[in-house]
Amino acid sequence: MDRIFARLRAPGDPNLARLQRRHAIVAALTSRIHLIKLSLFLVGYLWMAALPLPRLGRGTYIDENALQPGQVNTYWNWGDVANADRYLGQLEGLRDTNSTSQQRANVLMTEFMKIGISASTQKYKFSSSTGSIEGTNVYGILSSPRTSGTEAMVISASWISRTGEGNGTLNLRGVSTVLALANFLKRYSLWAKDIVFVISDNYVDGMQAWLTAYHGATQSNLQADELELTSGVIWTALNIDYPGHSFSHLGIFHEGINGRLPNQDLLNSFQFISKWTGGVPVLVYDHLESSQLEIPSWIPHALHEEIRAYEYRSKNVLRHIGYQARGRGSGVHGLFHQFRIDAFTMFGIPATGPHGFYAIGRIMESTLRTTNNLLERLHASFFFYILTAPERFLKIGSFLPSAVLISVAMMFGGLKIWSDAAWIPNSAAADPEKKDGSGPDGRRERWIQRNRPVIHVLGIILSTHVLGAILFSTLTNSWFINNQTIGSAWTFIVVSAIPLTALLVPSQDGRTMAPTSLLLKALNLCLASTVISITTVVNFSLAASLAIVLGIPLSISSPSRNLLMRLSKYGAYIALSLGWLFACEEVRKALWDWEILGVWFAPFVCIVFAPLVLQAGIVCLLPV
Amino acid sequence: MNLKRSLDAGGIVFPVLVGGRLLLALTNLSGALKRDHQLSSPLTSYLNLQEGIFLFKNGVDPYSGGVFRHSPLFLALFTTVLPASRTVSSIIWTLCDALGAWALVQVWRARQQVAKTSRDSLIAAAYLLNPYLFLPTLALSTSSFENTLALLALMFAARGDASRSLLAAALLLQFSLSSILLLAPLLLLLASSPVSQLASPRAFSANGKSITSFVAEFLAYTTVLTLASTLVSGGWAWIPQTWGASLTLPDLTPNVGVWWYFFTEMFDHFRPFFLMVFSVHLLIYVAPVCIKFQYDPLYAAFVLLGVLGTFKSYPSMADPGLFISMIAIFPEIFPCKHPIVTALLHLHAALLMPLFHHLWLNQGTGNANFFYATTLVFACANGAALTDCIWAGLMIAIGEPQEDYVVVQE
Repeated sequence: MDRIFARLRAPGDPNLARLQRRHAIVAALTSRIHLIKLSLFLVGYLWMAALPLPRLGRGTYIDENALQPGQVNTYWNWGDVANADRYLGQLEGLRDTNSTSQQRANVLMTEFMKIGISASTQKYKFSSSTGSIEGTNVYGILSSPRTSGTEAMVISASWISRTGEGNGTLNLRGVSTVLALANFLKRYSLWAKDIVFVISDNYVDGMQAWLTAYHGATQSNLQADELELTSGVIWTALNIDYPGHSFSHLGIFHEGINGRLPNQDLLNSFQFISKWTGGVPVLVYDHLESSQLEIPSWIPHALHEEIRAYEYRSKNVLRHIGYQARGRGSGVHGLFHQFRIDAFTMFGIPATGPHGFYAIGRIMESTLRTTNNLLERLHASFFFYILTAPERFLKIGSFLPSAVLISVAMMFGGLKIWSDAAWIPNSAAADPEKKDGSGPDGRRERWIQRNRPVIHVLGIILSTHVLGAILFSTLTNSWFINNQTIGSAWTFIVVSAIPLTALLVPSQDGRTMAPTSLLLKALNLCLASTVISITTVVNFSLAASLAIVLGIPLSISSPSRNLLMRLSKYGAYIALSLGWLFACEEVRKALWDWEILGVWFAPFVCIVFAPLVLQAGIVCLLPV
Repeated sequence: MNLKRSLDAGGIVFPVLVGGRLLLALTNLSGALKRDHQLSSPLTSYLNLQEGIFLFKNGVDPYSGGVFRHSPLFLALFTTVLPASRTVSSIIWTLCDALGAWALVQVWRARQQVAKTSRDSLIAAAYLLNPYLFLPTLALSTSSFENTLALLALMFAARGDASRSLLAAALLLQFSLSSILLLAPLLLLLASSPVSQLASPRAFSANGKSITSFVAEFLAYTTVLTLASTLVSGGWAWIPQTWGASLTLPDLTPNVGVWWYFFTEMFDHFRPFFLMVFSVHLLIYVAPVCIKFQYDPLYAAFVLLGVLGTFKSYPSMADPGLFISMIAIFPEIFPCKHPIVTALLHLHAALLMPLFHHLWLNQGTGNANFFYATTLVFACANGAALTDCIWAGLMIAIGEPQEDYVVVQE
């Protein structure tokens, strides 16, 4: 036994062996750091590309036992469909006479009251730098016959449909469904929660005003009536969007503002009910699965199905990223999320058939019965997921690492540069005294240590972020919005000219102090990595977009000796950092979202993203 | 007079910093911050203090409920001398921070044995601009008072002013029981000098008699203050509610420390045992740190402040904040072992904590584990800062690292 131990133990001093082992490990890691970094980048990007693979992810399932979806007999019948049709006729009359929001609201309120539901209207006015928006919401509250009304569910429809992100198509059938449902639900005493019917004006702004008033929150640019009627805590909200004549599928739209998603149980229950009770197939968004993708004939037939599935899923994932990264909700339901209400929009995808009021009424009834069963807020299922197909999703563990790996690669890059900056080869330092002192052979003697002053590097970083804040306050100025094309050009020129002062920085003595450009790059990479890895949890799509946009570009920034080279590199970074200024429509929308809905995307881009890229640009401008 | 001269010596920077902080205090930020779990604990929360004052003024014993856990001395202060309005409070809290910064500069000067240095304003800035310190002050957390008292005790001790130092320490003990850890290095400091001895370790040499008399003096102050507290509150009920709370952890409101989550998950029959373990764990550090740094008790006090900031029962951001700001007065330890790693850990923790707190309590998509995980990151960051400083403090005595030589054990 002792002999075995003796053989296992290295001969000589155990401390020495330990030190040598540690040294060997560190040396092995540091000599391969570039390889590690590159493979992390590669794995990260490949992982991102693999997210839509049909074999990744798993099928959806219901986690909360209380929900019991599809376990009830529905009572919605053709009489209720006829009611919905009558309401529709009335609404079409309102549309044809070009009635104002106020007139419309009064008619709708009267209809609610005729049913015997207490109803009221709410006038609101948003003022923003793009101009003001006015409107009138209508809402009715059906008090729960069985409980004291401390909890509520919302059924809502906005006057304008989400078609084309609110391009003006009216949601008449959605509104008539809400009215007919009010008429229908009133007749049953099953409800354990108050049911609040909201018909919000316009696309998203009406609901924002209503929700803000309901929760007693304040918004400085909103003047809205207080709500005369209130109910309890809202747990779930179902938003109906039915713009066409009939529909073939129901599409789920679930992204909330600032990247919050509703609990997946709600979506899964709806999907289950729609499929088995309503007989309506469900889609994610309005993407039909039939693909027009031309697949080259040299690809084996067995793979065609996989490729089609990949294409379909990547369309869904990209749509999701588009909504979530920009913090923009995919519909009216998105506004509920800020008040911790799980909500989604069911969108009747316009078609010539076969489904209509009958199907949507039954589905709504059964979904309401399911949410009515809840004893506590939805919490059991997932809040972090990506729906790749109607019945498949990715868990957080299967998509989060992709962005984190890239951020780790950036962090390694930054730390490597940081530790390298402390050393300079003796030959480069060309210091005769040091050379005399160095040993004749030793490998390490050829390096000498130098200082890494960080205060002024931190100053540069801070000032770019301050510049970003100034940029943001310029953009939110009403002058900018009104003269956007000239304003964008001027802002671009001014903001990109300020960092050019870095050209005036004299070249410093590299022997005693690490060059500023190297330190700035190290800290820039570390900072960007921190931003990415932290954002992953709040808003994966944003983090993934940042990882793609920042990952490689920030890692390859480097100073050069040639002035032209310096300027052209800087130009490239400026284009990346501020190029979005010229996407006028997008900027306008992002600013509107910030001012009216409080979406963080615009300030984030100005104060965090643009400065990070600017720092990389400054790295290129600084002397070697 | 002394204060005025010191301020003048500090030049323009100190007044400007204090002015900026006062402007910040007058904005309405405290309204938004005072409920924040990261900036004040149940033992230091301004809202709890206000409730206690209200109850006290209306003739109800504030210690009969389970909410008010401040020292009776705070009751006495705020019902007689200091007005309790929010604006005035903001100003008082900021001035208290300014006093703390001034004390820190004085400690630095005493350590360097000079009247004025070019580093003074940097040190004041390190205290006044540290977000871990000024955010709790904006949230009106009483930990600002605790920090200032700790610095005043150190300052008087560094100047050799035993009575005032011990009085400040006794007051600090009234406000926070765990600060008893500081007593040992404080006594050593009183008996020796604050001058940096990190580079030349030697055995502690001072007569033990003076220490005995210091202990006696401290005990006398503590007894008087305890009796005063009892008089103010009209009974002994305050002891289990204030001192007892930091030992028995009755209030499991989340904070940035490592205790609360552990004890929410704890089965009741293990609770007393682990409360004992956690409390004794704090005490364990005192003797080794004081023995190891017997040649530089100020450094020992600094290290113990770091231990408190990491492991005490009801910490807020301000406790690790004090430790971090104090690094500024020990330039001899720069650069620490892994400054960038520690800084990045702190950056991650400082960004993740409010974020996960928001995910859990506002947005509702996260849960308590999220916030707990970030408090662990924060604890790691504090631990890394602490080990960096200890390592650097010990390595000074060994000198510059030599080629082909490695220190295996100090």
